[in-house]
Amino acid sequence: MRAMYLANYFVAGCIASSFLGWVASLHPMSFRAIAFLLAALGIVWTAAWLLDYSLSQFLKISIQQLQAVLVSVLAFLIIGLGVFLCS
Amino acid sequence: MLLKLIVLSSASLTLWLVPLVGLDKKVGWHKGIQGASLCAAVACAVTAGNIARKQSEQEEIEAIKTRAITADVIDEISTSAYISQQQRQQEAEQILNPREHLERALVLTYDEGERSEPIAQNQLAQAEQNGSENGESERTERIHQLQAKGWGKAKIILEIWGVSKGGSQKYKAAEAEYECLIQKSGGQ
Repeated sequence: MRAMYLANYFVAGCIASSFLGWVASLHPMSFRAIAFLLAALGIVWTAAWLLDYSLSQFLKISIQQLQAVLVSVLAFLIIGLGVFLCS
Repeated sequence: MLLKLIVLSSASLTLWLVPLVGLDKKVGWHKGIQGASLCAAVACAVTAGNIARKQSEQEEIEAIKTRAITADVIDEISTSAYISQQQRQQEAEQILNPREHLERALVLTYDEGERSEPIAQNQLAQAEQNGSENGESERTERIHQLQAKGWGKAKIILEIWGVSKGGSQKYKAAEAEYECLIQKSGGQ
């Protein structure tokens, strides 16, 4: 059951990133806004990956859990945007 | 609940993939349907995730309860075994040493008031008499057992009274008691 809820949240993330792609395709301004959002997210993701030790202490989770969250965020962004762009 | 979970999960996947693949992005109303279906798919996936999370937490709580009950049962069994062992040990001690037990009881009785002193002395004397009778019968029985094994008088006295053969007073007393016990048992 734990795997099922993690899988559902992962699918929700994938769909949300497809939705971001869809919003970006509506208008050039929305495209810029989404591009800016993704760039900011990329910076935050890289910073979190580099500062994983102090961030895991701040969030009171293990480094493995933090890295799992970061990898899954990257994965659902790639999958969601990939599905939207390839369809 | 599991059926609802499965339906919501499959609905989210369907609403995510089917409009994106089947509809044209260049047509305006197709694009609108794609957006609406993506919103619905996110809602379905999040709802399914929440349901699954609640189920998972309940399962964890059940597992903790089961572990706690098992630990309680094990603890109760071990405690009862320990108590029953103590009870058996106390009973065995009481059986093996009734005189000491009676003395303790009498001391308690004596402490309560001096009027109980004669009663206590009588009880102690009676217990001593019973104890000596029990001791005699046990010794007689033991003598018969050793005689059946073919042991001689000196060896039996050494075994029961712990006195080796010689001219000592203790041996003479033990020998006299031995003879007395043999005569008594023969008379009976």
